[in-house]
Amino acid sequence: MDIATSRKTIAFLTLLSLTAALYAAVGCDLNDPDRDVKRLFPESTGFKTRYVSIDRKGGEALLREIEKRLGEPFQGLYETADVPYTMYEITKGDVLIGYIHGVNQKGKYGGLQVFLALDTQGTIRSFYFQKLTSKAAKAFREPAFGKQFEGLSLEDFYAYDVVSGAEMPTGRVSRILNPAPEAESDFRAALRATKKNLVIVDEFLLGNRHLAHFKAKGERP
Amino acid sequence: MSKRSLAVLGLTLLSASGASAQSHLLYFELQGVAGYSTAEKKAIYHSLSADDIMQKTGIGFDYVLKLSGRSRDFGTLAIQARLAYDPAAARKLEFQIYNAYVKIKAGFADLWVGHNRPALGISYALDIHALLLPTLVMTGFGFDRDWGAGLSRDLSWGNAAFSLTTGSGMPLWIKGNYLAAARVAKGVLNRDNYEAGLSLAGGRILDIIGHRLVSEDPIGFQCVSGDLTYLWNNLEGRAEILVGRKDGRSALALFGKLGVNLLGEGRLKLEAQPLVMKTGEDWSSLLSGGVTYQADADFAFRAMVQRDSAFKDTRVVFQVYYYKAL
Repeated sequence: MDIATSRKTIAFLTLLSLTAALYAAVGCDLNDPDRDVKRLFPESTGFKTRYVSIDRKGGEALLREIEKRLGEPFQGLYETADVPYTMYEITKGDVLIGYIHGVNQKGKYGGLQVFLALDTQGTIRSFYFQKLTSKAAKAFREPAFGKQFEGLSLEDFYAYDVVSGAEMPTGRVSRILNPAPEAESDFRAALRATKKNLVIVDEFLLGNRHLAHFKAKGERP
Repeated sequence: MSKRSLAVLGLTLLSASGASAQSHLLYFELQGVAGYSTAEKKAIYHSLSADDIMQKTGIGFDYVLKLSGRSRDFGTLAIQARLAYDPAAARKLEFQIYNAYVKIKAGFADLWVGHNRPALGISYALDIHALLLPTLVMTGFGFDRDWGAGLSRDLSWGNAAFSLTTGSGMPLWIKGNYLAAARVAKGVLNRDNYEAGLSLAGGRILDIIGHRLVSEDPIGFQCVSGDLTYLWNNLEGRAEILVGRKDGRSALALFGKLGVNLLGEGRLKLEAQPLVMKTGEDWSSLLSGGVTYQADADFAFRAMVQRDSAFKDTRVVFQVYYYKAL
């Protein structure tokens, strides 16, 4: 390596290291939006894709608000303020009939992806794992597991503490059964991902419709 | 592409990144690549060869725009390009286009026109544009991206795709060259944790390395390829076997990759990858080992050691890769 080339290389790598403080990540898209939308909303005639990010809407202050509503700080590769969230607005003709949104979540074996199909009020119509490589994947992908989430909304999940895994007071989230007790961490990850998903949808799509039901940790009974 | 066109494109992309809820994504990409070659006995600034398009120090962007009507998306525009620098290359500064296509939802299938992945082999489903370890398309068996048109349809059990492209790879050259390819795949990797594909391809392609023509005239190329990707817990396995004829000679290529994801969120990945090729009576191999560390959401560090039997070369290459949403 000649001296001039060495200097160029060092300068370039230095430039790279200086930008290391910046953060971003790739969002969570449906594998095949056309097929998935039709499966989750058979009555739909189309959908629109929207990209949003916490960074763009409210920056660090909004991130703190969302963390408070989730009950735990964001962490890891998939939880930064500038992660772009991919939101699908589902239509029938010109009428909005619901939403689909997925989030990445740290699981036992790498990341997992939890998608929710919601009506326009933010109530879960369908829950499913898109990506899950755990050996317990088969049990978690059984329709019976996803069915337990149907009809729930953020109002139910506010009482679920993602840190302790307990719901106080006991309610509908506590009745969700883990189909694979040996994969408790993936089960907990699924519940955390669902709550995170609902908080983000409430913030970006529902105009914080469920915020009135939120009580911070100290305010809960 | 002229400097003026580049400037207009850059301004368009930058201005497009201003809104809060948007129909597009724009990423900025920056990478540094350096290593050592035992055959060249000196430092190198590329992961494969100076002429190849694979990793070199560079700066680029990745842009995706959803095309929408009043109540529905009807297509996608994707542009992904970079400016790469390698002091050892014939063109030290090289503009590289990866994605440059428009995809339209036509109901029965998605149709695309532009520069995209041909429907051939494991590379149709595996994006290597940021990786150090190459697939078969980087060794003369197909193309990572190619100019032309294609269609794909996702099915409940997998995917079917067809493409008709120029068989020229990154540059658009037309000298009577073409490549027709079709692939059917069972399984959706993200959903089923496996995908098994079967491809058929044929045509007259350019014998080309990056932007450098090896021979002026197109050569015959026909092949059948089977590929498999399997995910299990933190393990990732990929394999492809390709059999056919290239330039009038029999061709055989075998590709395997075994990866293990370690640490939380799979931040650390270790990979071993044998790649064996035979054209006529000539055997060659490319044996690679790689490690990737995802430092944070944007920053990845990769390293590769590779033994290239054709050039009796052992390369050690390091890459710092940065990819940030704007």
